[in-house]
Amino acid sequence: MPLLSSILLIPVITLIVLLLMPQKAVRGIRLICALSGLLTCVLSLQLWTGYDPTTGGIQFEEIIPWVSAIGISYHLGVDAFGVILVMLNSIVYFTGVLTMWDLNERVKEYFAFMVLLVIGVFGVFMSLDLFFFFFFYEIAVVPMYPLILIWGSGNRAYAGMKLMLFLLAGSALLFPGLLAIYHHAGLNTFDLIALSAHTFDPQFQIFVYPFIYVGFGVLAGLFPFHGWSPTGHVAAPSAVSMLHAGVLMKLGAYGILTVGIRLLPEGAAYWAPTFVVLAVIGIIYGAYVAMRQTDFKFVIGFSSVSHMGIVLLGLNLAVLGSVVATDALNGAVFQMFAHGIMTALFFSTAGYIYDKSHSKTITDFGGLGKQMPRAVSIFIVAGLCGAGLPGLASFWAELLVFLAALKTYPIAGVIVILGLVLTAVYILRVFNLAFFGAPNPKWENLKAQDMSGLHLIPRAILIAVLVIFGFVPRLMLDLINSTTIAFLGNF
Amino acid sequence: MENAILFAPEIICLIMGLVLFFAAVLGWSYTTTRGIAIASGIAMIAACLWTLSLEGEPFFPGIYAVDFFSQLIKTALAVGFLFVVIASASPLTVDRNGWLEVPLFFIFSTLGMMMMVSATELLTLYVAMELAAYPVYIVVALHRNADIGGESAAKYMVQGMVASAISLYGMSFLFGTFGSTYFSAISIPHAAAQPIFYLGLLLTLAGFFFKLGAFPFHFWAPDTYQTAPHPVITFIATVSKIAAIGILCRLLSLAMPGGWESGHAQTALMWASVIAMTLGNLAALAQKDLKRLLGYSTVAHAGYVLLALQTFAEWGLTAALFYAIGYFAMSFACFLVICEIGRSEDRITIDSVSGLYKRAPFLSFTLLIGLFGLIGLPPTVGFVGKWFLFSAALQRGQFYLVLVAAINAAVALYYYLLIIRQLYWVEPTTQNTVKPTPLIAITAMATIILVVAMGTLPGPFWDMAARAARALIS
Repeated sequence: MPLLSSILLIPVITLIVLLLMPQKAVRGIRLICALSGLLTCVLSLQLWTGYDPTTGGIQFEEIIPWVSAIGISYHLGVDAFGVILVMLNSIVYFTGVLTMWDLNERVKEYFAFMVLLVIGVFGVFMSLDLFFFFFFYEIAVVPMYPLILIWGSGNRAYAGMKLMLFLLAGSALLFPGLLAIYHHAGLNTFDLIALSAHTFDPQFQIFVYPFIYVGFGVLAGLFPFHGWSPTGHVAAPSAVSMLHAGVLMKLGAYGILTVGIRLLPEGAAYWAPTFVVLAVIGIIYGAYVAMRQTDFKFVIGFSSVSHMGIVLLGLNLAVLGSVVATDALNGAVFQMFAHGIMTALFFSTAGYIYDKSHSKTITDFGGLGKQMPRAVSIFIVAGLCGAGLPGLASFWAELLVFLAALKTYPIAGVIVILGLVLTAVYILRVFNLAFFGAPNPKWENLKAQDMSGLHLIPRAILIAVLVIFGFVPRLMLDLINSTTIAFLGNF
Repeated sequence: MENAILFAPEIICLIMGLVLFFAAVLGWSYTTTRGIAIASGIAMIAACLWTLSLEGEPFFPGIYAVDFFSQLIKTALAVGFLFVVIASASPLTVDRNGWLEVPLFFIFSTLGMMMMVSATELLTLYVAMELAAYPVYIVVALHRNADIGGESAAKYMVQGMVASAISLYGMSFLFGTFGSTYFSAISIPHAAAQPIFYLGLLLTLAGFFFKLGAFPFHFWAPDTYQTAPHPVITFIATVSKIAAIGILCRLLSLAMPGGWESGHAQTALMWASVIAMTLGNLAALAQKDLKRLLGYSTVAHAGYVLLALQTFAEWGLTAALFYAIGYFAMSFACFLVICEIGRSEDRITIDSVSGLYKRAPFLSFTLLIGLFGLIGLPPTVGFVGKWFLFSAALQRGQFYLVLVAAINAAVALYYYLLIIRQLYWVEPTTQNTVKPTPLIAITAMATIILVVAMGTLPGPFWDMAARAARALIS
């Protein structure tokens, strides 16, 4: 059995098994999901070690013709970017299942929708066919609505609807964009590799690229189309926020990279200055708004907008063809991974605190560090990673992008570094207000409910990943670099 | 004898229709009558599959063609008939005295539609069209509440007759232009450049636009959808859509040699498409009645189909035929659930399905799949179908048209999601559980499988649709 199909089939089989299981077998359902998560992690590790960085390029390819009359094929394959993101998804899936271990409400349906989301995400990261790319992309979006609506909290009906409308409006731009690429090439194939060998007319590229960029960008939290993201994150249950901010937003960035930039390099270069401006605004705006929030999850939600801005900034700097293009793209892809793990840790912990205290208001706490030392420590690790502390994975990713920005557009570079200061401010503000003041006697009961045993496992895994790549970034950068150089050869 | 084989599906349909007629006259029980209808549905499907690959002309040359296109559509019609008859178990919304006539009228209407898609001559087409229409006019009126039935039927019938009269007027133009009622004479390419030909063709389309619920003949849709008895509207919303899309493909294939280049006919159809989808979706946003909402949604979907048909290209025909079958399945999934949960209620509002997942988990799932299909989300046929339809228009380079359609699809998301929210989130207003009979559960399962299979393995279905489209063009 080919490796990529196996990774994709594990959640598919899990879903079928889940649907056939009785509603009441809650333990069994959890166990099966955890096992399937673990198995995808193991296979992803095999993928990571099996990928040969000396050859680079697309590996582990599989092709099965699907609708041969119009050139749709089930074409899987990954380059280094894909390997990394498949890994990310496996980790977040596994830790997400563990995070939701205590869920008691409609357990079977919850995990069924969550597994469906995971299937979609895996499919996108592996597909090398425009049809299947979009097919899996939409599959990943669909379960968000029921997940937020049924298991979410707060203003969930509003948040779920807003999220779906934004994302499908993005798809409305993608529909004509992707089909135009197919028809304009006239190769009668949706195969990404075959299409990337075709040189599109520059006028056409300039026309279509914004549709692709904005269409995928909506999911990547592109300013000014990010409105769905904080409200959606806040309303969603913890593990869904983890998958959502951790992985789903990466689909958008990955789409821009694999479809937009790969197929339409000249269009990308033409529009890059404009989109650099939007990305910089997104970074500053997200950080600034995060400073004023009173709700834990809103802080994290807006920090995601800010951090995804760094990814988008890196992608746009990479297509300008300067000497630092490689650094920019390496940084952007690294940031996708680092931010994914970091946000998963953030939401996983914020969700835990919320589940125990039923409060998300920062000022409600104060000195929580004395009451829930373990949970708070973990939150602080995530926060420091968000602030770009050396020794954690984000540091390297952000450093690469910022250096590239300074060299390409010095003014933009200076502005985003100021953004980093804002990030430090909003994170330290949360620490100060919620964790380090005088303990609020209201929460004395939480002392007995600090994280322990099973709860620590998923968070420990995530922290370990952040630390490993923080201290040995070469593990990641060597891998990314093998694809980046070939990828940027087109420019 | 060979001709009889070619005509087998229609012959079975006719004979079983007569049997059902006697059943109605002799006053057999409804269970028996429905059993006979189910058996005839199965026999019709068998006959259609048997003749699927045959080609020929069972009567005089040129008036009635049996080819892959006609047999594929007939198979779909037979399946549709069977499904609708299964769905109309104890149709309490129908007047008790009229129960026995319901399967009878359905089968005769199906016969008309089967003949309609095979007709290759204007008068045959017109007669078949009326045969398909009249039984439905009557059965719409058979509501247990005479006032509701009367209103519903009056709107449907008056508009249907106007549309059919316009069709007849258009046919007279076609006859005047070519001096013949045979399609083979009409489709001569060099004559096709005449403006009067396009005028005649567009007017002829009126009757079929009416059946499809396409702008500007859609006015009946919301009212009739809302008020007609549930099994009847299920028939109108599923079976007759297949026939309408099929015959539109047949008629437009006549203009394919020059339809795109000549411009005006294409422009007219394009605007009909844009207006239909925009109007249907915007109007549906405000609806509280579930059936009325689906009535507007059908107008929007007619717009999507016209988007492909206005390309006058093989791809467009294939996409439309593919979507015809897919739309049948998605739409049936929704209406089957409406028939089940609204068995004894005249009106089904969005609130009626509140918390349905608690009262009837499987039916609720069926409706969910149907709605996912209508939204156009994978892994249902709705997604693949839209991909094909939109692709057809982009093949002609109509980028902005596809953008409008895609934005429309995003707008439509809102009202479908509201229904899904009622289904899975809002607490039920009553505690009545609905338990479908095994036969209905199997039918629902088959529909779900069809919706998902066409959405994940579209290859074989696309190839069939493409073969049917080629049969039309040659």
